[in-house]
Amino acid sequence: MRVEYINPFYQATIDVFRVMLSLEPTRGTLRAVEELVPVSEANVGIGVTGDLRGSLLYSFPASMALEMVRIMSGMEMTKLDAFVTSALSEVANIISGNALTYLARNSLTCDISPPQAFVGSKGAMAMSTEKAIVLPLITDIGTLEISISLHAKHVE
Amino acid sequence: MWKEHYRVGSDLIDTQHQELFRRVSAFIKVVQSDRPWEERLEEVEETLVFMQHYVIIHFADEEQLQQEIGYPGFEKHRQIHENFKAEVQAFAKTVELEGFNEEKVQEFSAKVMTWLIMHVGREDQKIGEFLRSKEVTN
Repeated sequence: MRVEYINPFYQATIDVFRVMLSLEPTRGTLRAVEELVPVSEANVGIGVTGDLRGSLLYSFPASMALEMVRIMSGMEMTKLDAFVTSALSEVANIISGNALTYLARNSLTCDISPPQAFVGSKGAMAMSTEKAIVLPLITDIGTLEISISLHAKHVE
Repeated sequence: MWKEHYRVGSDLIDTQHQELFRRVSAFIKVVQSDRPWEERLEEVEETLVFMQHYVIIHFADEEQLQQEIGYPGFEKHRQIHENFKAEVQAFAKTVELEGFNEEKVQEFSAKVMTWLIMHVGREDQKIGEFLRSKEVTN
């Protein structure tokens, strides 16, 4: 797992949060973990295939998730229902797609699978058990943590 | 939902965007309302029919503007419009076959909301920037 795979996700989150939420995320301290485990209530998992393979896990605290969707929709949100989790899935999908565009500039061509949202740790998919790096993105409304487990198709 | 910084600088396009945001916002209110689903179905159906027609009109007008001003990103932008139209049509086809399901409609409305914000907030702003750069040089 190379650290240079992380920066595209940071750049993509800044771009997407700026446009969609008028928020400016700052980067917290990276940490390595042994496997992808949800750290907050609202989660979105995305698989990656191609030159890099692995999984991404977006973990949003419930209050942050509800506030994000309130900013986008202009409506108060009170529960993590299908509307809220679908909106989060789309945001995670857009960030991932943009991050892959940045990676493609380094000649790494990848595809993503449709996002899978789940609340809590229940229903967590069997994701990569390989090591991951957690990228915390701190905003005024909470901290999103993106766990990134990507590995080159061939030996790195 | 609409924000003033979404303006691109064309009265027609800005008015259409405001109408789209207004409709999507009303759609979300209906989808997220506590009223029984059966009572809301008619409004959901109406919005879907509106979306199918209005996006075609709006995209056509926006693409015409892009061609008139010689916007260099026209082809890529047109493709994004085509993909979105296909998604709306695919959803309409699903409900035609399976009927309206509340969770599916919630998912669809969330998708439309995020798409609209991201598209108008980023892709369409590039048209606005191009438009302004032309005004400066002319």
